[in-house]
Amino acid sequence: MTCDEVRRQLGALIDGELSPDLRLDIEPHLAGCEACAAELDELRGLASGLALPSVAGVPSELWASIERGLDGERTELLRRSPGVRRMARLPWALAAVVTLAVGLGLVGLLRNDSSARASSIDFTLLLDALPHDAKQAFTKFVSHYDAKEASPEDAKLFAPDLNFEVPEELPGGFRRGSVYVLHFGELAGVAATYDRDGEFLGVVFHRPVHTGHCKPHKDYPCVAGHQEGHKVSVGQWRLVHLMDPTTCHCVLSRLNEQTELPPIMSAVAPPLPSGDGGRHRD
Amino acid sequence: MPDEQELVKRCRAGDREAQRELYAQTSERIYALLLRMTSSRDDAFDLSQSTYLRAFERINQFDGKSSVATWLYRIAVNEALQLLRRSATARGKLKELETRQPGDAGAGADIVRMDIDDALGQLDGDERAILLLRYQEGLDYRMIAEALECAEGTVGSRLNRARSRMRALLGGSYGRREEEDVGAHPRSSG
Ligand SMILES: [Zn+2]
Repeated sequence: MTCDEVRRQLGALIDGELSPDLRLDIEPHLAGCEACAAELDELRGLASGLALPSVAGVPSELWASIERGLDGERTELLRRSPGVRRMARLPWALAAVVTLAVGLGLVGLLRNDSSARASSIDFTLLLDALPHDAKQAFTKFVSHYDAKEASPEDAKLFAPDLNFEVPEELPGGFRRGSVYVLHFGELAGVAATYDRDGEFLGVVFHRPVHTGHCKPHKDYPCVAGHQEGHKVSVGQWRLVHLMDPTTCHCVLSRLNEQTELPPIMSAVAPPLPSGDGGRHRD
Repeated sequence: MPDEQELVKRCRAGDREAQRELYAQTSERIYALLLRMTSSRDDAFDLSQSTYLRAFERINQFDGKSSVATWLYRIAVNEALQLLRRSATARGKLKELETRQPGDAGAGADIVRMDIDDALGQLDGDERAILLLRYQEGLDYRMIAEALECAEGTVGSRLNRARSRMRALLGGSYGRREEEDVGAHPRSSG
């Protein structure tokens, strides 16, 4: 066998795909030919270089986002024409990018698309990190909007346009953790965390934003108490938004919105004073 | 594998637990492949997502001739190739700018040696796919043929071509230059 003939088979040899006959032909040549043996070494080096395990683990949010697709967004995802997909990603895909960008310190680049404009509040940042650790997801979400801890009184001063309450205790026995003031672009927002024996509940208040941005996930109309709104479910978790003219009240919890949630919504979203007074102001 | 058949059967019935189980068993491999195919975590994330959504949607088309893993590799590779084709122009230009800085071209070649992942990034998507399926994922030629939907007899020559391109890109340490200066090369001495 010539060197050329041998070299054509070296790939199959390192891949373990060479027929026994050919192997028998090649091996004596390799034993006697330094150049072909060196070539074989190179190929083995390349193979082991390519085999290096990838260091990154599977992102924890991946399954949640697949599950959301299974729950209803699949058709939309698959229907998107290839050409527009990069630009018009589903918002929850964008959130994955945003989440990463935070880690990479690239958030400034993405702000133009997500948080800088007041009209787009990216709840996907929150929803994508569910359901594994809701509290952590919530913290991540608020810190994306420059959360600063504040007293309830300061939060009211900070966001005088918003109609909300963050009582020390909510119906059902949830006790208040932290209160935060947030910046949704130019607009003020407020968030608070609650806890009931380790069960997390979070609330966010913001000015009603353009509907398209307020509900990026597949969401459904719902009624809680006297208010109409919409909800997004991720696993056991649901993010319920109820809106009055001044404020969108969002509650993240595992509570049933028919039974357990209404008293809580009433506590954090007091009815607006009738007439044109109240806090409403444009 | 009876377990696998059972799992697929449950997935066909839309059993969410089974879907999750299949995901748990395979996602590390699929994500790792897509990450190295795209060199981008967010692309790998998106593509993994669409891979599983397509897989669950089309699980009735899975005929059981290959393993589920191979079938998932096939979907994942197709998803990745579509993406790479779409962004080939833009990405190619970017790479050119990144890798061919003025001054690097001549003398730089000896100093700046491309590493394996850089070289992989320069290959065409299908070359990248076949190398990763073989060496990162450890598929044999028959499985590769199933994953890439090509004749098994062509796998060897495709791999030869892809390896040659890698070695050309990698230059000194893996490449053809070896033949010219065997004696001078530290790896060959001895
Ligand atoms: Zn020889």
